[in-house]
Amino acid sequence: MFASVPSAVLFGAQGHPVAVEVHVGKGLPGFHIVGLPDESVRESRDRVRAAVMSSGATWPDIKITVNLAPSRQRKSGSGLDLAIAVGVLAASEQIPLASIERSGFLGELGLDGSVRSVPGVAPMAGVFDVAELVVPVANTSEAAIIANGRVRPCGHLRDLIAVFNELAPWPDHDVSEEVEVSATDPDLADVIGQPMARQALEIAAAGGHHCLFVGPPGAGKTMLAARLPGLLPALDREQALAVTMVHSAAGVALPPGGLVTRPPFRSPHHTSSQVAMVGGGSTALRPGEISISHCGVLFMDELPEFAPRVMDTIRQPLEEGTVSVSRAALHVTIPSRFQLVAAMNPCPCGDGNEPGGCECGDARLRSYVGRVSGPLLDRFDLRVKVERPDVNQLLDNKPGEPSSVVRGRVAVARQRAVDRQGMLNNELAARDLDRFAPLATTALDCLRDEMERGRLSARGYHRVRRVARTIADLRPHGSEVLDEETVALALGMRVSVRPPHAVGRAA
Amino acid sequence: MSVLRLFPEAATPVLDPHERAHLAALASLDLMTTSRLVALQAGRSPSEAFAIASGEQQPTEPIAALFARNAELRSRWRSSAKRNQPQEVGARCEEHGVSVVAPGDELYPPQLDGDPRRPAVLFVQGDASVLDARRVGIVGTRNPTRRGALTAERFGAELAAAGVVVVSGLALGIDGAAHRGALAASAAPPVAVVANGQDRPYPKRHAGLWAEVAEAGAVISEWPPGVAPEPFRFPQRNRILAALSELVLVVESRERGGSLITAREAGERGIDVFAVPGPIDQRSSVGTNRLLADGAAPAPDVETLLVALGLDHRRAGRHRVDARAQPDTDGVLALSLLHDRAQSIETVARQLGWELGRAARALVVLERDGWLVEVGGWYESTDPIGAGSRCDS
Repeated sequence: MFASVPSAVLFGAQGHPVAVEVHVGKGLPGFHIVGLPDESVRESRDRVRAAVMSSGATWPDIKITVNLAPSRQRKSGSGLDLAIAVGVLAASEQIPLASIERSGFLGELGLDGSVRSVPGVAPMAGVFDVAELVVPVANTSEAAIIANGRVRPCGHLRDLIAVFNELAPWPDHDVSEEVEVSATDPDLADVIGQPMARQALEIAAAGGHHCLFVGPPGAGKTMLAARLPGLLPALDREQALAVTMVHSAAGVALPPGGLVTRPPFRSPHHTSSQVAMVGGGSTALRPGEISISHCGVLFMDELPEFAPRVMDTIRQPLEEGTVSVSRAALHVTIPSRFQLVAAMNPCPCGDGNEPGGCECGDARLRSYVGRVSGPLLDRFDLRVKVERPDVNQLLDNKPGEPSSVVRGRVAVARQRAVDRQGMLNNELAARDLDRFAPLATTALDCLRDEMERGRLSARGYHRVRRVARTIADLRPHGSEVLDEETVALALGMRVSVRPPHAVGRAA
Repeated sequence: MSVLRLFPEAATPVLDPHERAHLAALASLDLMTTSRLVALQAGRSPSEAFAIASGEQQPTEPIAALFARNAELRSRWRSSAKRNQPQEVGARCEEHGVSVVAPGDELYPPQLDGDPRRPAVLFVQGDASVLDARRVGIVGTRNPTRRGALTAERFGAELAAAGVVVVSGLALGIDGAAHRGALAASAAPPVAVVANGQDRPYPKRHAGLWAEVAEAGAVISEWPPGVAPEPFRFPQRNRILAALSELVLVVESRERGGSLITAREAGERGIDVFAVPGPIDQRSSVGTNRLLADGAAPAPDVETLLVALGLDHRRAGRHRVDARAQPDTDGVLALSLLHDRAQSIETVARQLGWELGRAARALVVLERDGWLVEVGGWYESTDPIGAGSRCDS
């Protein structure tokens, strides 16, 4: 007998439909899976057999062949277990073929027949064209967001057999357990002092600018960075879907409602590998940290400690907003439009506060700072020095401005930018700057001088103008023309990270 | 200029080129120190001493005792003597334009003649006779503030302009800045005392400066070409630097550092030590302020040094025409905070109660007009210490 059951596998952050074809026929008893299964799929033979037997059904002791179509594509993951089990049951006439005709299946099986959750249900659920999609209970909410048909949560293979044999109704799984733990982002009110860094965060949030904090340990760089998502507006429907897909595919815990609505914040450790950062792996091509922070914030603490290759590989996605990962037989593109926030010490000893205050020799300093490549440093529109807060400010304990207030200003500024040019300021093309970010004469003088002295590259010039545009947008009434003050502040937020070449430059 | 020699009857006769090459070869042996060099030469010509050091002749006292105390010494000397044959060392010296100067020579600096730890030989690139002029040693940290470096540069320039030879160590930071300043004045030539052989400029980044100093004045070392800048050689170098100076100026120094060794060596030789005062909470001024507390003389300006040298100080310190645009009201206020220490946009805004943008504008404009420099978010005044308040007047 033959049965074909719709299921799906995951590549990158995309689901691909797979038809699980099961043939049960005469021959020596055996159970084979063909159609390029990888090791994780091949292992499902033993799980499926045990689960079927634990669920009170009979394992047909004849020849069973499973084909995963299309057979040219390598398949991985345990999400096909349930479909294979149902296929075997249908092909061996333990459940009527007709009853599963309009159903798709996703889920991993335990040896006792229980159905376990799998990563990537959200992107996979979107590729089914069925009336009913059976998914593990824990994946119900994410599947419900995307799926075209009705989503049926399932906790045990036994229940399925009963339902399809019309011995029992669909079991009721209480999936509306939305305790609505409105995950609160950390609040800016906790940050004491730091007017410059606060302002930089606000600018970063309003203009989508990448931001680098330079300061000694204990200055609060990490604390500041963690507060950036709280200043960003909630994700719109399209973004939320995209982020949910990626998170689901990467196996990141989803919020109770299934849909990710707040901008994500990711802070990978500096020992993270290239694959962990940009995505990849042998078959499934799991999304990396840069994709998981899609529409959100990627925070790289201790930037110079990251492997140079890792730092360089994130440069291209930074520009393009997507990352393409290719393997011999496979090529996937995963969204990765993230905002980069990084932190570093001014020097290896970390004490490099004021000029002349640190122990580090010139050579050590150079090798430390030199680990961050120039092109990457150049991507940061904002490079801000952060100092340890003053003792008086700490003891004063006056709470700073809360995130909610700043968020309000950020929303206004972002709206201004979108109304004016249809995008955030960091995306402004250089050729549009004269139209959307005109400079006052004094401001132009200021910039011209910086360029003449070779302190500002052409690219840097555009970046300063974009940042100045955001600063102007953040003003209570906005301003059409960029004045000297906005440009000066934008320049002041581009501190030089590299050590000076000659110490005693003539005045 | 005739020089009164403290020891005109100095024991060492003027050496012929052959002996000179042997002396240079002796100095290039591994583990060689000033005292060992003196011991080797006691009552012997350099060639006889080299025969002993290279193992060709049996050692006599006190060298035999030296070998008995330190077994390694004999083998290291013997092996390094093979590598440093007198002809080769002599050729190396010639190749780098280095002359071998021994005590008793016309060119041997008389200031070193009476020194308790008199160098047994000097290697001079350039012209050692420039030391006949008035001399001030300028030393300091390798990691100064921008202002410290500018101060050293200014002192170097103004001393040189007043005809004073600036003696320093060619190190990164203060030393280099002092040399640069002295060279820029194109008046009195600078002199550098270095800790390694002249074949390999150290630090590498100062190779150009090294060549300029050798070209204009002199680069002096106790060790011949081929000797590496090992750490123990630097304190030794500092004693020569101190001994060659009539007074020593420390511009910036941490709580510990080579410049304090130089100051101590100067003190032991009865040479006056001057220090540039700095903010008490600035790390790079801790050492200099300590020196001041311990009795060093403060050096608020170049005139003080010139007076101490008994020179006509009225010629110096000519006010150069300041072409910088006068700061506006905000600029003057901001600059007033920057006289004694570095500030950031944030600290200026806080102290003056300004918005960040206003502080940023003031500092960026001041930087553009040359009143400030920015490094890593810190703004520092470009007016050297002691020249600070010129914009007020």
